[in-house]
Amino acid sequence: MIAGWETLPSALAAHLAISAAALALALLVATPLVLLMPGRPWLRRTVMGLASVVQTVPALALLALFFPLLVLLRNLTGLPVPSLGLLPSLLALALYALLPLLRGGAGGLAAVPDSVRDAARAIGMSASQRLFHVELSLAAPVVMGGVRTAAVWTIGAATLATMVGQESLGDLIFAGLQLQDWQQVLLGCVAAAALALIVDGALGWCQRGIAERRWAPAAKGLVLLGLLAVGVTGWWLHSRPATQVRPVLIGTKTFSEQYILAELIAADLRAAGQPTGVRSGLGSGIAFQSLAAGGIDISIDYTGTLWTQALGRSDVVPRADMMRILTEQLKSRYGVTVAARLGFENAYALAMRRADAERLGVRSISDLARVSGKLKLATDLEFLSRSEWTAMRSAYGLEFASMRAFTPVLMVAALKDGAADVITAYSSDGALAGADIVLLTDDRGALPAYDALLLVAPGRDDLARRLARYDGRISVDAMRIANWQADRPTNKRSPAEAARWLAKETGLQR
Amino acid sequence: MVSVPTAASVPPPELALALSGVTLALGGRPVLAGIDLVVRQGQFVALVGASGAGKSSLLRLINRMLEPDAGTVAVHGADVAGLDAMQLRRGIGYAVQGGGLFPHWTVADNIAAVPWLLGWPKPKRMERAAELMAMLELPPHLAQRFPGELSGGQASRVGLARALAVSPRLLLLDEPFGALDPETRDELGDRLLALHRAQGLTTIMVTHDLADALLRADLMVVLDGGRVVACGPPAEVAADPHPAVQNLVATPLAQARALAGMGK
Repeated sequence: MIAGWETLPSALAAHLAISAAALALALLVATPLVLLMPGRPWLRRTVMGLASVVQTVPALALLALFFPLLVLLRNLTGLPVPSLGLLPSLLALALYALLPLLRGGAGGLAAVPDSVRDAARAIGMSASQRLFHVELSLAAPVVMGGVRTAAVWTIGAATLATMVGQESLGDLIFAGLQLQDWQQVLLGCVAAAALALIVDGALGWCQRGIAERRWAPAAKGLVLLGLLAVGVTGWWLHSRPATQVRPVLIGTKTFSEQYILAELIAADLRAAGQPTGVRSGLGSGIAFQSLAAGGIDISIDYTGTLWTQALGRSDVVPRADMMRILTEQLKSRYGVTVAARLGFENAYALAMRRADAERLGVRSISDLARVSGKLKLATDLEFLSRSEWTAMRSAYGLEFASMRAFTPVLMVAALKDGAADVITAYSSDGALAGADIVLLTDDRGALPAYDALLLVAPGRDDLARRLARYDGRISVDAMRIANWQADRPTNKRSPAEAARWLAKETGLQR
Repeated sequence: MVSVPTAASVPPPELALALSGVTLALGGRPVLAGIDLVVRQGQFVALVGASGAGKSSLLRLINRMLEPDAGTVAVHGADVAGLDAMQLRRGIGYAVQGGGLFPHWTVADNIAAVPWLLGWPKPKRMERAAELMAMLELPPHLAQRFPGELSGGQASRVGLARALAVSPRLLLLDEPFGALDPETRDELGDRLLALHRAQGLTTIMVTHDLADALLRADLMVVLDGGRVVACGPPAEVAADPHPAVQNLVATPLAQARALAGMGK
């Protein structure tokens, strides 16, 4: 069976629900605006201008922007406004759907001929009779065209809701992308495309019915929409485990190590009779926020990341002190418990081709600084805006010929084919186990430690006790090999298979 | 509903229409400047003038689609400012160029639009629509067609039928035949005149077709720059030396003389 098949019904149902809700919200906002537009050119200009500006923001950025906005709102009002999951997704998607709705509405009304508008007034129709019996009736086909566009856009953009912790078909796409499991990516894409096509087709029938003033096509469209909703809901209910207790949720960021460790823990908890689910593909900061808010129960994070992102510190302190301060402050500030330090580190590091390193005599970052002016640096998407880069740059005086950001999975490839000479790497990266690549040592200690930790949400000390046995059990070598099993281009294993190997290798298997 | 006329300026009811001192500006631009005009019941009035002279605006003041900045408009002796605008409009026939038909309503529904607004039951509406279609020589099978399927002449007839649906006493026409070919225009003009006489209507027609105005109207009103520059029987108006009048009538009269010469 294709990986991700068992999560498909639930992802599909969530996807359909969030898309429908966002579209409904957008309709609720767009309708009065469109109705107020005739005779108010300033309103039309302002609203259409704003909607167009919103449209130029990439959907992903729009989703990401709602996170700080909602956090700000929560801090200002003191209300428990959720900043992750459903609410930001709903708001961002609704905002994104506004433009086609407004364009359809305003365009439809503007296309009503002046002579018809005039005649309606001249024969003595009231304002509401003119609106409903003439203007809206005539505008309806164009308005429905706008609704169709908005529906298709929303269903497409909803795949991105995964990044802010809302379940959607994006779960399959992002997990598959990270694991280079193209079947799973395809499954997510095909499901989203099929959903969009069916909804577009159904609304197309409704549009035709309205345009031709015939009931039959409109009814056909409505029946198809109804069948879709009932079918998806039914499949989801049918495939759902019988248990009614909320499963323990393990959140993961977007890389293989996180997927493997999540599967390792999930298998362990399930074996002990605890229903467990995995919420995959969360953004780096979002995983922790979600944990602190109780949206997920368990996450895997790294000391250096938490040091800067959760505690807001940029100083470098000895490893033991960092661990002690983090344990105390995560508990006191967020209620989050450090259940275990896994035993390996996934630090930011710089890596080079072995041949280059030997030719140039580079072993450490200090060595690199001597020659870096002639080299091209490739980083992951966030490194250049992280404080680690600032610290590394000022400690070593690094300057590169060029700097470019890549998707993490492509960085090793960039190094191998010469698109980059130096890349940011993670010390537990599986690709390092196989390739002819050397890691450069942080000889001046500019970077904080990145010890992997198991974190548990506030109020789940029961889980913390059960996970305490993971402390110090996973070595960096074991983790690197497990990562390589999932990341290597051929003979790839699923995260669950790699997790089984890791369990056996480390003796964590029950 | 109708206010009791008390002011001395209120005209007697046998006057279908009386405008006095009507001034109108639209968007800061003066459109009409001190219009005085009296139309007796049963008159067929042609309202002519260059584009932008204010003809359509004058028509729209009569059924309150526009409100004057100064002056009064009285219909059948009642100041329209005191009447409910919607009731007033339903009681006055109004047709525009090309018909201004509702593209999503059938021909019959279009014709019976005002009866529908007045709450007539459906059978009565359909009966009235059939009657009007016969009156305007529209074949009955068009009743369930949509306006998009009609020829220009048919659409104009439907527009006219809609204006006549509740037998109004006053008919306002804004270039009703403007977009038609000359033959159809002439034929419809005759039809309209016959209906006007048979039903005892008072008709005010804005037109660009000077021949139509000169040949059919009882009263010809020439507007120029928002003022009435000539008003009277067509023969008298045609002889008026005012340059605006001569600009309008010179060409059609010269053409008519040339055509008459060819006939000899």
